Amino acid sequence: MAVARRTWDAVVIGAGHNGLVAAAYLARAGLSVLVLERSSRIGGIAATVEVKAGARVPAVAHTVGRFKPSVVRELGLRSHGLAFVAPDVRVFAPDPDGSAITLYDDIRWTVEGLRARSGHDAANYTGFDRLVRSLGRFLAELGNSAPPDIHAPSLADALTGLKLGRTFRGLGKHDSRSILRVLPMAIADFVAESFETDALRGVLATRGIQNTAMGPWSAGTTAVFLADSAGNDGGAAGQTVYARGGPGALSAALATALKTAGGEIRTDAEVVQVTTHDGRASGVVLASGEEIAARIVVAGADPKRVLTKLIDPVTLGPGLRWRAANIRTPGTVAKINLALAGVPVFSAAGKGPEGERLLRGRIVIAPGIDYIERAFDASKYGEISPAPYLEATIPSLLDSTLVDPPAAGARRAARHVMSIHLQYAPYALRQGSWADRRGELADLALSTLEPYAPGITKLVVGRQVLSPLDLETDYGLTGGHPYHAEPSLDSFFLWRPLLGSARYRLPVDGLYLAGSGAHPGGGITGIPGQNAAREILSDWKKRRH
Amino acid sequence: LPLDGTFTPLQGDHLWRVNDHGRTIRELRRWSKLDAEAYEEYGQLMVEMARFIKPILSIVPPDPTGLDPRQFAPLAGLARSFQRLPQKQQAVFFQLMTMSAADFLAQWFETDPLKATMSASGIIGTYQGVKSPGTAYVLLHHYMGEIDGAFRAWGIPRGGTGGVSEAIGSAARAQGAEIRLEAPVARIITRGDRAVGVALESGEEIYAQHILSSVDSRLTYLGLIEPGTLEPEFEEEVRRFKFRGSSGKVNLAVDRLPDFTCLPGEGEHLRGAISYSASIEDMERAYDDAKYGHWSRRPYIDMIIPTLVDPSMAPPGKHVISCFVQYAPYHLAPKLGSWDDNREAFGDAVIDRIAEVAPNIRDIILHRQVLTPLDIERRFGLTEGNIFQGELSLEQLFFNRPVPGYARFRTPIKDLWLCGSATHPGGGIMGANGRIAAMEVLRASGRKVA
Repeated sequence: MAVARRTWDAVVIGAGHNGLVAAAYLARAGLSVLVLERSSRIGGIAATVEVKAGARVPAVAHTVGRFKPSVVRELGLRSHGLAFVAPDVRVFAPDPDGSAITLYDDIRWTVEGLRARSGHDAANYTGFDRLVRSLGRFLAELGNSAPPDIHAPSLADALTGLKLGRTFRGLGKHDSRSILRVLPMAIADFVAESFETDALRGVLATRGIQNTAMGPWSAGTTAVFLADSAGNDGGAAGQTVYARGGPGALSAALATALKTAGGEIRTDAEVVQVTTHDGRASGVVLASGEEIAARIVVAGADPKRVLTKLIDPVTLGPGLRWRAANIRTPGTVAKINLALAGVPVFSAAGKGPEGERLLRGRIVIAPGIDYIERAFDASKYGEISPAPYLEATIPSLLDSTLVDPPAAGARRAARHVMSIHLQYAPYALRQGSWADRRGELADLALSTLEPYAPGITKLVVGRQVLSPLDLETDYGLTGGHPYHAEPSLDSFFLWRPLLGSARYRLPVDGLYLAGSGAHPGGGITGIPGQNAAREILSDWKKRRH
Repeated sequence: LPLDGTFTPLQGDHLWRVNDHGRTIRELRRWSKLDAEAYEEYGQLMVEMARFIKPILSIVPPDPTGLDPRQFAPLAGLARSFQRLPQKQQAVFFQLMTMSAADFLAQWFETDPLKATMSASGIIGTYQGVKSPGTAYVLLHHYMGEIDGAFRAWGIPRGGTGGVSEAIGSAARAQGAEIRLEAPVARIITRGDRAVGVALESGEEIYAQHILSSVDSRLTYLGLIEPGTLEPEFEEEVRRFKFRGSSGKVNLAVDRLPDFTCLPGEGEHLRGAISYSASIEDMERAYDDAKYGHWSRRPYIDMIIPTLVDPSMAPPGKHVISCFVQYAPYHLAPKLGSWDDNREAFGDAVIDRIAEVAPNIRDIILHRQVLTPLDIERRFGLTEGNIFQGELSLEQLFFNRPVPGYARFRTPIKDLWLCGSATHPGGGIMGANGRIAAMEVLRASGRKVA
């Protein structure tokens, strides 16, 4: 066993985007920081991978529009190479009847398009968008604050409370009543209050159920929907923003920011244990047996893994261990990445540049509430949705850096890449294993797309599939859950991931949580990392290590 | 009606929990040693949670957007008692308020029929499944000891709820109140912004200082108030309040007792609730049908045989069986037609489900009565057949029930009050709504509160 050569101020478990954000803030504050990553590349689910030689595709997450602008600014990510690309089409949602719902960056175009379907929906869309933005702003404020300490509220907690109270009142009587009423609602009910077109309800509702083991009729999915619009320009349509070079470019910029501030990253360094000394975190042990000493340990990894696998159960105690083991991580997401020989033609979009323009946003297959709910039903019984909800992007339409120019005369060369999020594919299958059934997923995604984009299957020249089990084994996500813990009402704010541990401090002194399992939750936002760093630094200054 | 436990018949086996704790633990041990242990811990925890939560049920909900600090005073006491709870109980409190019954129970138990049977109380009267977030809360009502008798006995003409109503009626009369039957109210008479009386369908007008409506919010506001009196936005909120009745009732007159294959013959197991809840999946699939506007093809049934306790309800040797059934969604899919076209098919589905475990059921039926949510609406004046006067979903509780900003039993019309299940704390808890409403009326009129 190697002898620890030095004691770091902080070691960070996992080089996912939140781990990197927290690490960068700590390094900038002058702490010596080491990030340890179990796999051989950084970024977690915000990564770019090769799907075929010369064709790169978002590994898991494909858009980064939720990433918090203040993190970009404060860490100087643009100067470290990060560039955002946003199409004017946010969402293209084809319907089986050959029509499509298109949501644009410019709301006037969206309303214009809806008018042909329903005057009622067109008239309500602007008001709905306004309400979503208003409620989203309140959630953003909530998301930027550490949940209060309910046992010993500090002055800072009181100030946060006052600020939140003021924001709450600032919403006005109507919106403040609305938020308390709508947060626990089913997204199906929320969208039905404004819209009559089932296809429109469906495409909007997807944002309430994405990455969850819930359907549009599940209570609390409106909170998921609003959180998706919190603190970004999403509004009713939701954000559609790409990082040039794929999401990996975001992680690379974070890594550069960290290294510039003096931090270090080690890949292929899996943490298997958090060591404690006198009840306080004292470092970590790697799979290789190497021990690394640190004054504090920050986990970007998910809380269930950290609390049930990395901490000695005796240190944690039976009550907390029981609670940690019950953190719900029901993964339902599969990822299919394709290399395509050309741009698929969607019947509802048409051929040519105008058709291609419509495909530059998120292509959503969720034509109606019942369609999504039935897709969800299958997963409750351990079955893959026979007709799944898909969200696909073709980022190469906007970003020429993703696909290398094909060699002269090359046949079947990749000219575009497509990234498909498929739901629901339950982690716990009733029949067979994911190792045997992974292949079904790509076929399922293609057979689902084929009626909307005839001939798409023939364009495929490379494919890659991630089942929920792969998300667990390759990405370290317990249960294959991209959000680290289900974003349901039972894992929210003060009680995410656990009541008493929602303030980024885990129940072991000196052990912090900076990942998606912490408030305000999952998605490529950087907010848990930023909040955690703020709390860590506040403790750091008080304790004078 | 006294309940002697819950019997869950299965194929080739059964799960039978009785009021005798030791016997129940022995029965559970037969299924799972871990579950038997967890059952004790769980029961204790729930009793403690019920003790904490019970005061909430008698609070007048504050308006969170209101500025009057006095409204929030009762919450401060609650916050203090919350802080005194051990952390595990605090955590469980948040889980109860937000989780699905199935997920909540899975933290303690592994035996499927046990989880299914326990989870059933989370979905009674709601258009939710056992896996729907927000259903865990209702599990707690079990431990408050008031809800079970209410829903199980409901719809039986004598005994049970009827008897309770008689007793309350007598108490009211003894205090000088008068009760007039067959006096349907056609509308509430308003003068300016004030309610002054009611007009009966007969045309008779009755004037009073306070008008308390115990019918649901939709009937009160949209049925009894002159159109144009209320603000359109308010009426919109009233219309938004969800009812979505989901339960039906099947009453049977039988020649002799049903005979369960898994535990043949007569016996104690027939004297309590008989729960057709073999697995979480069965429960959830019953809900899946309802989501798409079909009555459950294999419904969940909660059956009791009241004649075993009160033989006077049937001729000697005969019995009546009362079945509470879910799901029977009020709004059927258009292709199914109306409830009048589906009543008997739904009744058949209930009998088929019973016959799976008690095959003699088909031979013993003398008479069958099927009550659909439409019948419940017609007969009892419950909008959309919802037995709780409005869905008990999270967004329709506490300060949102029945209209955000009007959860304090007051209405936009002065001297008109709501006092039924459409108000906090919702349906199924007998008398709580009426009692708090009455105290608010007394307080508002400067009288001593009893």
